[in-house]
Amino acid sequence: MKLKRYILAMFLAVGAVPAFAEGNDGLLSGETMNYIGYGTIVAMLLLFIGVMLVLLRTFKTLTRILLGPEDLKEAEEEKLAAKSQRKATRGNLVNKLMSLRPMSEEGSLIMEGEYDGIKELNNPTPAWFMVLFYVTIAFGVGYLLVYHVFKSAPLQYEEYRNDMAAAAKEKAAMLAKSANLVDENTVKLTTDPAVLANGKSVFTTRCAPCHGDHGQGVVGPNLTDDYWLHGNTIKDVFKTIEYGVPSKGMPTWESQLTPVQISDVANYVKSIHGTNPANPKEPQGTKMTEAGPAAPAPKTAMKIK
Amino acid sequence: MQPEKFYYDNKIVRNFGIATVIWGIIGMLVGLIIAIQLYRPEMNMGNQYTTFGRVRPLHTNAVIFAFVGNAIFMGVYYSLQRLMKARMFSDTLSKLHFWGWQLIIVSAVVTLPLGITTSHEYAELEWPIDILITIVWVIFGINMFGTIIKRRERHIYVAVWFYIATFVTVAVLHIVNSIELPVSFTKSYMVFAGVQDALVQWWYGHNAVAFFLTTPYLGMMYYFLPKMANRPIYSYKLSILHFWALIFIYIWAGPHHLLYTTLPAWAQSLGVVFSVMLIAPSWGGMINGLLTLRGAWDKVRDDVTLKFMVVGLTAYGMATFEGPMLSLKQVNAIGHFTDWIIAHVHVGALGWNGFLTFAILYWLIPRIYKTELYSKKLASFHFWIGTLGILFYAIPMYWSGFTQGLMWKEFTPEGMLKYPNFLETTMRIIPMYVMRSIGGALYLTGVFVMAYNLYKTAAQGKLVPDEAAEAMPLERLDTHAAAEKWHRKLERKPVLFLIASLIVILIGTFVELMPTLTISSNVPTIASVKPYTPLELQGRDIYIREGCVNCHSQQIRPFRSETERYGEYSKAGEFVYDHPFLWGSKRTGPDLQREGGKYGDSWHYNHLMDPRLMSPGSIMPNYDWLIKQKLDTTTTATKIRAMQKLGVPYPAGYDRQANHDLDVQAKSIADNLARDHIKVKSNKEIIAVIAYLQRLGTDIKANKTANN
Repeated sequence: MKLKRYILAMFLAVGAVPAFAEGNDGLLSGETMNYIGYGTIVAMLLLFIGVMLVLLRTFKTLTRILLGPEDLKEAEEEKLAAKSQRKATRGNLVNKLMSLRPMSEEGSLIMEGEYDGIKELNNPTPAWFMVLFYVTIAFGVGYLLVYHVFKSAPLQYEEYRNDMAAAAKEKAAMLAKSANLVDENTVKLTTDPAVLANGKSVFTTRCAPCHGDHGQGVVGPNLTDDYWLHGNTIKDVFKTIEYGVPSKGMPTWESQLTPVQISDVANYVKSIHGTNPANPKEPQGTKMTEAGPAAPAPKTAMKIK
Repeated sequence: MQPEKFYYDNKIVRNFGIATVIWGIIGMLVGLIIAIQLYRPEMNMGNQYTTFGRVRPLHTNAVIFAFVGNAIFMGVYYSLQRLMKARMFSDTLSKLHFWGWQLIIVSAVVTLPLGITTSHEYAELEWPIDILITIVWVIFGINMFGTIIKRRERHIYVAVWFYIATFVTVAVLHIVNSIELPVSFTKSYMVFAGVQDALVQWWYGHNAVAFFLTTPYLGMMYYFLPKMANRPIYSYKLSILHFWALIFIYIWAGPHHLLYTTLPAWAQSLGVVFSVMLIAPSWGGMINGLLTLRGAWDKVRDDVTLKFMVVGLTAYGMATFEGPMLSLKQVNAIGHFTDWIIAHVHVGALGWNGFLTFAILYWLIPRIYKTELYSKKLASFHFWIGTLGILFYAIPMYWSGFTQGLMWKEFTPEGMLKYPNFLETTMRIIPMYVMRSIGGALYLTGVFVMAYNLYKTAAQGKLVPDEAAEAMPLERLDTHAAAEKWHRKLERKPVLFLIASLIVILIGTFVELMPTLTISSNVPTIASVKPYTPLELQGRDIYIREGCVNCHSQQIRPFRSETERYGEYSKAGEFVYDHPFLWGSKRTGPDLQREGGKYGDSWHYNHLMDPRLMSPGSIMPNYDWLIKQKLDTTTTATKIRAMQKLGVPYPAGYDRQANHDLDVQAKSIADNLARDHIKVKSNKEIIAVIAYLQRLGTDIKANKTANN
């Protein structure tokens, strides 16, 4: 009865885990929750095995008490006999598979001749070994037939195309129903603190090595001054981040950041304009004001040497 | 007829034994140091000669060719004499073999840290050493065959079949994989390029495992195990079957190192199916060994040498089952380039080669010193700490391999890579790197204990340099020959045996190599792919010198997870001027095939100077010496001429103009850096490396940028 209660309690605990996770997103990361989940499942299974063993023991004791000493002895003898017979047949089966001859016959298997005292036995190759060998050969033939004669399974480039097509479909479906669908034409300038906070965290991990932790510029240009190489509108900044400027060393981020992340970090970049951080890098590009042209900056501005 | 008296040469066996122990300690110590460098890059001691890329080949060469190599010769020289009932053919050749082999190893120890390398894995040594290896190997062959010819035993035992196959196949492998065009005394270019070079290299690399780490050890197992257990070999039939099947099938399996690369599909599939067919022939050796112990298992409990043998054979069985599984392309897609492979090879190397070597040393040293082992307790301690070391090494590496392999492939529901930043996956497995080095340290501790134990054993005994023996000379055979079965007949014709094994291993070699090397349709060319500029060529040679290929691959497999991370997948035609190919086999860092244009010159400058400036937490060592060292441009003309000889289409007479072009390109990179306030002279090595990195993969790169 007590056990039952424990099990019930454990179930409740497991049931409570996901609920807890949903309610406290910020407290524990999804991954930690997963670990806790797996741990609980494993613990549950172990507990289950434990309970089963205890039950088995209980039944055994019960049988012993119920049968009485006479019958018990009889039952045990029966069990022993059955066991030894099982063992014998199992031994035969193993020997057959292994093609093992009894040790007593070894004398007749010793071959003529010896090498520095080493003798050889004339045992057959084990049956399972031959089966294994033939199966792998059949597998080999089958493999070549499937991939190269019947061509019924895709080789690497076809496999790749299939995979990409499936992924594109999935991605389109995902983007269509989520708020993730942002591109350089639909991106909006905002000062929403949540957006800027997200943008800042992306900036710190991805952008800071080149642009400095305050956007003051290191290898990459200063992002806080009035000078811009590739335009200063939110759309321009989004585009520069998305596609990069490989010729100048700005990587392409479209495969590393989601559209929303790019939009967030673009907004963050806009938000640090004019913050005058310490050790600023000298201006690069053309001076632009906030009222500047919304269209992409003129070509000349990009060719600054 | 009177029995003849003769003497076994034990001194040469002892010498190879000492070399085995010393080089084993050195090779494993170097391994431990580079294992620690993977989480503490500063363990390179700020020194280019001890940095991972240069020292990792030293570790692999030292443990394979110095430790295992000397152990093979120790085992062969001991067992061959006794199996042939004859002293080694020539004492002079034995000595030449011994000292020649040590000279090869010493030259490896000198040249590899200097960055003198061909960059072919397990064949890094440059052409003069390659020639030396060939000479010493031929000396070994003559000495071995001389002994076999003057034998007093009619038939040759299964151990010697394996020795013969080893000798002939290693000779073929070494020669074909060393076809290189010397540029100077310390530099050469591989004659084959790109896909072809890759195929030759992995045909070699895989069969170095087969015919240097496997067949000679199987041979030694067939001699020493029955001797130790005092039991007959379980099945002669199994010996025949698995010997011929093993050497025939092994040679085909090389392409499984190149799955999902630009190698033609048919060659990849052959690699897969022959790898799977290898399970049974490999296991043949294991079961013949383990079943030989049938009826002697009680001995295993007390005898530490047998314990080493049993664990060694089991490790062999595990590794040879895992290998074929890793060859299945679906498994390979996850395991390749990760630490899974490191775990796999170390189960084989530490378990099979290491433990068999230790067993043989513990058995053989007391015998040639006519004494007992100094301490059985210490040997037992060695066994347990060694086993523990293998577990502590392998388990973290498996874990790390699965973790990273899966992280590389994981996508978010939005269809983005979940871990787009490669470094994030590296950081996750650093604890595993720490654990691995602990496992390695445990294993090495065991080897130190063994060295002490063997030293004490030798000190308490006295070497019997020439051990007396007698045997009946061989009579001419003309009567009972007809009744013999074909294989028995072959066993008394060693030269025919040699030729037969040569033919068997050449079949797979020809079928696989010839079409790729000769039929041009197997390597489609791409018009936009142009030869490297002189500066890029020099930069590439520095990339080779620094051993960048040990951590960075240059081969993007056609997987969504790789094209998203690195860019368009690799095409065979992109590598046609790559003498040698630099595809790599491990991604400790990201792939670099499309590195060109991903970052700016100044990013690369700062990153090479101190990777942590641009990628906080990176485990790549600093390459600050590239900034100080001047690029040697005196070699440019010779290098261009060598490339022309190999068919790279530089215009006629370009060698005279090359250094001018080199200066112009170097100046433009230096100017570019100056714009970002990086002051560096254009004649420094780093400029060439940047030029090469910025060229990588750009020939066919689609230019989708904000600019156009």
